[in-house]
Amino acid sequence: MAELGLIPVKTRILTDSDNIVDTIEAYAKDDIGPDDIVCVAESVVAITQGRMVRPEELNPCFLAKVLCRFIPQKGSLGSVYGMQCVMEAEGKWRVLYSLIIGMFAKLVGKSGVFYQMAGRQAALIDDVTGTMPPFDKHLVFGPDRPNEVAEEIKQRLGCYGATVADVNDLKRALIVGLSKGLEAKRISQILIDNPFGNASQRTPIVIIKNYRLVEQASAAN
Amino acid sequence: MDFLIVLLVAALFLVVAIWLYIAHQGDAEIAFLVNERTPFTLVEKTQDTAVFSAQVPFINKGTQDGIIMDAYTRHLLPREQYDGVAVVSRLELDNAPRDDGYFEAYIVPIGTGRAVIVTVKLTAQNGDITAALKEMPDMGIDIVYQVLGRTPWYITKAPRIVMKQAEILTAVGDLG
Repeated sequence: MAELGLIPVKTRILTDSDNIVDTIEAYAKDDIGPDDIVCVAESVVAITQGRMVRPEELNPCFLAKVLCRFIPQKGSLGSVYGMQCVMEAEGKWRVLYSLIIGMFAKLVGKSGVFYQMAGRQAALIDDVTGTMPPFDKHLVFGPDRPNEVAEEIKQRLGCYGATVADVNDLKRALIVGLSKGLEAKRISQILIDNPFGNASQRTPIVIIKNYRLVEQASAAN
Repeated sequence: MDFLIVLLVAALFLVVAIWLYIAHQGDAEIAFLVNERTPFTLVEKTQDTAVFSAQVPFINKGTQDGIIMDAYTRHLLPREQYDGVAVVSRLELDNAPRDDGYFEAYIVPIGTGRAVIVTVKLTAQNGDITAALKEMPDMGIDIVYQVLGRTPWYITKAPRIVMKQAEILTAVGDLG
């Protein structure tokens, strides 16, 4: 009986000169089979799409300077530039409204409301230091059209499916993009122990081997 | 009219409250403790080169976490003053040494700090570093660094480090 396997794929540092689908094909084509799922780190997809900016290129507005003060510093939006980025991506008034509602929600014991309301980029933007050199001095947005990227990977590589995921060592595995027919919750469970490793390991691609076979066997039982 | 006054007072109260909150929150304040640096020691010496290094501690004495986005050395030895050596200098974090001159952005939590290692390579223009060092004057070295905290980034300089000739000669003498 087939077993699930996780194969991290090492690459060189990818930049906005690279195409993520071409890269996966170049580095992992021979390891990918029709029963497998290809997972790729969302920040790397974003970087290949050129979705990053240096703080020096931003001109934070007054509202960003004030609102960032109400976000704990551990979060990317706790910096004035992280807040400015999310305002530019999602709209400043939406962010303001979400923050006010989020603060009231917190008063009644419900946390995470701000991130639910402020738009996807609020949870995906990586602040300075969030990515390895040479992007450690950049803010990196979440990827654009992640579902389309996943679908393109699936079509080109002939695998069972593909996903764009935001995974870290703190047991967070957020599925950002998914090809058709996959269940985000199941993929998230498989990736929860962060097979991508840390950034310096340079393994932004993970192949989940035998996914279809294992899922079929489990459905049959 | 009364309603408008109440609204105005409430808005004013809110503005003052937010201002006080931000003022109380403060910001990161990263300082290089140049006076607590170690003396320059000799790392390597050849016929025409000598490499020295010293550790310079830094600390975040502010009230918020801060990031050193970039940091680099600026040595100051104009040829009008002395042209006997060519100088190359760089710095790196003590816990993440690297020899490529790149400074990886580093988070400095409140009340903590580390040290940077400042490395200076001197190459004698006439091929004899021992002779060149005997004539070398004191040399200033600035640490220039870019800070990001709760407020917009800024670039500043640590108080100037002076690499004294006596210090260099002592270090070379230490090699025996």
